[in-house]
Amino acid sequence: MVHAFDCLGHSFLLDVESGSVFIVDSLTKALIENHDSPVDYSKGEFSRYTATEIAEAGEEIDALIKEGVLFSPEPPHKKPEYAGIIKAMCLNISHMCNLRCEYCFADGGSYSGAMTNMSFEVAKNAVDFLIAKSGGRRNLEIDFFGGEPLLNFDVVKRTVAYARGLEKEKNKNFRFTITTNAMLLDDDAIDFFNKEMYNVVVSIDGRKSVHNSVRKTVAGEGSFDAAMKNALNFKAKRKGQYYVRGTYTALNKDFSKDVLYLNDCGFDQISIEPVVLPENHRLAIHKSDVPELIEEYDKLVNEYFRRRKTDKWFNFFHFMIDIYHGPCETKRLVGCGAGNEYVAVAPNGDIFPCHQFDGDADYKIGNVLDGTFDNRIPEKFALNNLLEKKDCRDCWAKYYCSGGCAANAIHYCGDINKPYKITCELMRKRIECAIAVNSLEKSK
Amino acid sequence: MKHIKVVAKSTICRDKHTGCGECQSSCQSACKTSCTVGNQSCEQKINRIEKEDNR
Repeated sequence: MVHAFDCLGHSFLLDVESGSVFIVDSLTKALIENHDSPVDYSKGEFSRYTATEIAEAGEEIDALIKEGVLFSPEPPHKKPEYAGIIKAMCLNISHMCNLRCEYCFADGGSYSGAMTNMSFEVAKNAVDFLIAKSGGRRNLEIDFFGGEPLLNFDVVKRTVAYARGLEKEKNKNFRFTITTNAMLLDDDAIDFFNKEMYNVVVSIDGRKSVHNSVRKTVAGEGSFDAAMKNALNFKAKRKGQYYVRGTYTALNKDFSKDVLYLNDCGFDQISIEPVVLPENHRLAIHKSDVPELIEEYDKLVNEYFRRRKTDKWFNFFHFMIDIYHGPCETKRLVGCGAGNEYVAVAPNGDIFPCHQFDGDADYKIGNVLDGTFDNRIPEKFALNNLLEKKDCRDCWAKYYCSGGCAANAIHYCGDINKPYKITCELMRKRIECAIAVNSLEKSK
Repeated sequence: MKHIKVVAKSTICRDKHTGCGECQSSCQSACKTSCTVGNQSCEQKINRIEKEDNR
């Protein structure tokens, strides 16, 4: 399968099975698009080209096919199996939050349960559980999430110290990450993050009016001024990886303005992505919105590409792609690993397939305090790989999105193997943009 | 080639040394509500590059 597309004024080919990428002229793109059908070269778009030009382009295509990097066949796959190994954990360190964001999937941080913080005892047991389940894996990940993790900062610090203390003895390398709404992001937190956090995700939605319309305090006030002040202080002092991460909704389908606004504020690592909500929610994105959103990604990629040649260079998370050193096929088949290699732990110690299942009794896997662990859910999630998703098998983007988010599939399509279609369309557009930007920048 | 510029060839590794599982879980990276794997990097390749750079 070959996917041909236009972006940034150029034409591109992606050979799906080999991952080969080419920049081509319009003649070659037309030949590829008509590769499987008989063509009258004297008519239509081909009438603009000489017979020599058509023959030359055809020979170049044939050479690449012969080399196995164009129209390469789907190779036999090694089917992913359940190995019983866990190497990444989302630690919902607090089920409390100082904001009440309207689109929050965690119901104000509580995940429809009690508003409570995780005790150090639970966190310590979670670290021990992760180490015990990690087998021979050396790199282990713990993401502090919530609710708002900084409402339980003392336990965050103690958990990091505890895990670090075990690294040498257990031959493990912990990578800690944290997601915060920035309301409590002071210099003490920044210093700690600089020492210990591999990545920090700071939630800001973009323009003040956009942010304040959905990200409100418990008292119902907009949170922008406090969050932005702290986020800018953080950015100035951050040593290491970070993202300002926002969510766009039906209220700001012109979200490229929010991305560019964040860049204008001085941020250079930005991620803004579509909200996923039930159709009847006032902030939900509908299928009918997709053409407008795709146009918005076009606007964004043009300005993004331009700015990256100036002193306003920035990274947009969804336009990043590692063309040369990307993941292996196994990783591309299994995707995020939710419920399999990756789990979430609630403040009471309950284990779930990922943070989006926290509090859902049907998806409780076990508990880190009592040592229970039911393999049936992880075994089901381990089978949630690309090879099992019929709707994904013929999609050109399959090795880049890996079949999408398992939680969205279950919550919105009722089946772990059915991808959420609105996300699919937006994902494909973002991958095209990512391939285009990276190809043009890398092939200079 | 006049009509085709090669950006990258055969980038999806399928050899026997793959699938080590040492790379970052995609959902932990920055998104938390979606899934993008293609923008992740292979831990083995990155380590190899860092070693070569340090030589």
